[in-house]
Amino acid sequence: MRSLRRFLERLTNFVWKRRGDPRLREEMEDHLSLQTEDNIRAGMPPAEARRQAVLKFGAVEAIREDYHAEQGLPFIENLLQDLRYAMRLFSRSPGFAAVAIAMIALGIGATTAIFSVVDAVLLRSLAYPEPESLVKIFFNNPGTESYAVRFSVPELEDLRNRAGVFEQVSVSARGSIDLTGGSQPERLEAVAASPNYFSLLRANPQIGRLFDSQDVALGYAPVVVISDGLWRSTFAGDPRVLGRTIHLDNDPYTIVGVLPPGFRHPGRASSQDVEVWQTSGFSAAPDPPPTRGTRSLPQAWGRLKPGVTLAQAQDRLTAMAGELRREYPKDYPSEGKWTIEIRPLQEALVGDVRPMLLVLQGAVALIVFIVALNIANLLLARASGRQHEMAVRSALGASRGRIVRQMLTESLLLSFVGGAAGIALAEGALRLMLRLIPPTVPRLSEVTIDWTVLLLALLASLLTGLLFGLAPALHSSKPDIRGGVRGSVSGAGGTRLRDALVVSELAMAVVLMIGGGLLLRTLRDLIRENPGFNPSQVVAASVNLPYPTNPSLDPYLTIAQQTAFYRELRRRMNAIPGVELAAFVSDLPTTGQPFNFALGIEGRPSKSGEELRVEPVIVSPDYFRVMQAPLLRGRSFAEDDRDGNLPVAIVDASTARRYWPDRDPLGRRVRLGQDPASSWRTIVGVVRDIKQDGLDVDGVPHVYISIYQKFDAQQGVVFRDFSTVSRTSLPAGVLEPQIRRQVESIDPRLPVYNVTTMNEVLEGSLASRRFSARLVGGFAGLALLLASIGIYGLLAYVVGQRSREIGLRMALGATRADILKLILHKGIVLTAIGVVAGVILSASTASMMASLLYGVRPRDPAVFLVVPALFFAVAIMASYIPAWRATKVDPMLALRES
Amino acid sequence: MKKRTEVQQGTLGLMVLKTLDVLGPLHGYGMARRIEQISKDLLAVNQGTLYPVLLKLEHEGSITSEWGASENNRRARFYRLTRAGLKQMQAETHDWEQTAAIIARFFEVRAEDLT
Repeated sequence: MRSLRRFLERLTNFVWKRRGDPRLREEMEDHLSLQTEDNIRAGMPPAEARRQAVLKFGAVEAIREDYHAEQGLPFIENLLQDLRYAMRLFSRSPGFAAVAIAMIALGIGATTAIFSVVDAVLLRSLAYPEPESLVKIFFNNPGTESYAVRFSVPELEDLRNRAGVFEQVSVSARGSIDLTGGSQPERLEAVAASPNYFSLLRANPQIGRLFDSQDVALGYAPVVVISDGLWRSTFAGDPRVLGRTIHLDNDPYTIVGVLPPGFRHPGRASSQDVEVWQTSGFSAAPDPPPTRGTRSLPQAWGRLKPGVTLAQAQDRLTAMAGELRREYPKDYPSEGKWTIEIRPLQEALVGDVRPMLLVLQGAVALIVFIVALNIANLLLARASGRQHEMAVRSALGASRGRIVRQMLTESLLLSFVGGAAGIALAEGALRLMLRLIPPTVPRLSEVTIDWTVLLLALLASLLTGLLFGLAPALHSSKPDIRGGVRGSVSGAGGTRLRDALVVSELAMAVVLMIGGGLLLRTLRDLIRENPGFNPSQVVAASVNLPYPTNPSLDPYLTIAQQTAFYRELRRRMNAIPGVELAAFVSDLPTTGQPFNFALGIEGRPSKSGEELRVEPVIVSPDYFRVMQAPLLRGRSFAEDDRDGNLPVAIVDASTARRYWPDRDPLGRRVRLGQDPASSWRTIVGVVRDIKQDGLDVDGVPHVYISIYQKFDAQQGVVFRDFSTVSRTSLPAGVLEPQIRRQVESIDPRLPVYNVTTMNEVLEGSLASRRFSARLVGGFAGLALLLASIGIYGLLAYVVGQRSREIGLRMALGATRADILKLILHKGIVLTAIGVVAGVILSASTASMMASLLYGVRPRDPAVFLVVPALFFAVAIMASYIPAWRATKVDPMLALRES
Repeated sequence: MKKRTEVQQGTLGLMVLKTLDVLGPLHGYGMARRIEQISKDLLAVNQGTLYPVLLKLEHEGSITSEWGASENNRRARFYRLTRAGLKQMQAETHDWEQTAAIIARFFEVRAEDLT
């Protein structure tokens, strides 16, 4: 109570800047005069009486200091004084302060921005309640090396009823769907799921209801749930949307509910978020009858029963897969070794981007480390430059603690200002990154700078300050007072520490540069990679033919109806002025392929343990001409390759090489899928490999099929999305309305979307690599810059310290070349050690990057030679400046200075 | 070194309170003289150390001060005990007496008393 009151009094005095000095002076004066009078009364002469009084009063300064300390709050006063002093110092050497603050800001800004992405994508738990019991279920045939294969309805029922480890299991299938009835047909991202999908994810509606048991049906239930985004954009957020009927792929559906804004389908958003959810039992049209061997379902999600661990569930599923294989040997060929695997949902979703994010994290860690080393070096250099000042301070009575505190204040001030600047920078960097990050990275919409990241950044800035502040402070707080005051040079200890810091900084920078070099080289190789066709002057546009569940609503039910549409559209597109030639393809090159099928080859006995698989690509006549993809043998598809005529196929060079290595594939017959009813197709041509699945995917066999012939590899699998490709000199924007008009004039309900050039499609397929390569490359450049600043700073400091010695040497006859050599030598030795250490470190860690490289070995000799050479050149340039300056030392001046 | 000053400062504070309690309002010099007289050598030198102690006691609310006229009609700052100060002095006096009594008993103890 009393001490609180005392504190408050002192605080008031402090705040009001109340000074006790006048009062003390007055009291002291009174005291002294009273004592003097008493002394005179005791018989002393007046002068002596005054002298004795002063003696008896004691050391005035010490008392005033005590009094002053009691008056206010000395701790805070000192702090403010230190802060003022630090600010004055920084304003006197703004270069140092700016470099240090900029470096801290860069370190913190980069960490925060990248950490925000990593946090949202990798670390933060999924936005579903109890995400730990959510799993993704995979069906694999490890014997034939096919993984994540599709599954059938009876297999789904086994998971639900027989496995006993799941509370719920749900299927989901993603696709796009045409929404008609508005001003313009729209193409929406859709998910078809089991009725228990939302209850499995524990989602709640924003308005209306979600699917539940009343929606259980064999086929599609006539109800639909829409996203918050679609509700606001297309239905203006109108709550009366509930009960309204919309047409999706011509089928009527009733809107029963709207999801809240935060809900997302657990999957990768390839370009757009899912906007409509349908529900189906997947057991009636358009799906095939549910037999065990009819595997058309793509994705399964499960929620484990409470108390069941992942390992227990996996054991049970492995056992169940074994039972099923024995019970239904016909449906599970023994060579496939069919099995079921579960993975935590989060891991399954993030899987592919993990290596990239880890490399980015590693790069950031290295940059932060380099920044830290650089700042430590800077502060250390300043500390040794200020030994004289510290010596004077201790000589004047400053305690060691006081000096340490002042140095700490300075470095903390630096890191706070740097931290604040870094957070501002992070905000900008994050915005930039979100523009650069390919949209295929999952959960990007959840990326924001959140408070954990902010806290982490602040903590980082604080720790930086403490760490770097402490080392120089302790180093400088035990100076040899006499030596320091006289200005003699300190011992070698500090210099050796700084050498070590610079060497490790150089090594880190080399590691980063080699990593960046490997990624950039990969990117360059990929850009130069021949895609197998000529992408320039090709405009692509996507069209989606509806696929209603009700066959009577399907205007494209038969292959004849489809053929009529394709022919008419091709005729009209070829008539567009400026279009040289137009063709259609089911999936554009480099965008990947959703399906692959077993390949049956006539007359070839199937060997056990080997399953031939190919990806089908459905194309129209002239496709290879539009793409300028060279036909190696045989012929291309013709207008006559239609239903009713001989089923034909064209294979790519990879397929031809793999299956007919020493024979002519022309005239051979192949069959897609395991359905015995699937037709045999005669190979009529061989085309050069086209990078169908991405520039960095090689050697996947493809079979091209005429768009006029029925695709019957598997029941339930139809191709109704397609892209038009036109060879034209017109830009995509000019062509877009013309294509739209031609499509609408045939069928006004068909949306046209993703109108773009083929070059942009190629670029888009490299977006993820481009992003990581540029980011790491940028970091590498930054590291190079920081490392050269580091070595420059060290040598400049050495030159400053040794200017007297240099002057002496010159006075004794050393030439400028000798001096240049003397200083350069140190720079070269340090750089050499750093580069060698960095190369060794890179060589031993580069294999971690292997999955991100394409066509470049992790220990690519070119990168491992060029980077150190470049590094050497830059480091020597950085050393040359202080060395050159050393030669300008005026011996007379340098000697007189001391 | 430091420890001894602290003990002295503590005791000095209590002496100030006791002096004011016995003699009523006093100025700094008067207090210093009384304390010197009674304690003999404490405050024979370094009388000035009294003033930071007075400020501290005032901050704690144990004493108050105001300007007044001294015996020879000079302006001087007079210190007066507050009620909180009185209570504090009584409590501290009690503590001191207790401590002193305990220490005294230990000093009286001889080896044979403990067998």
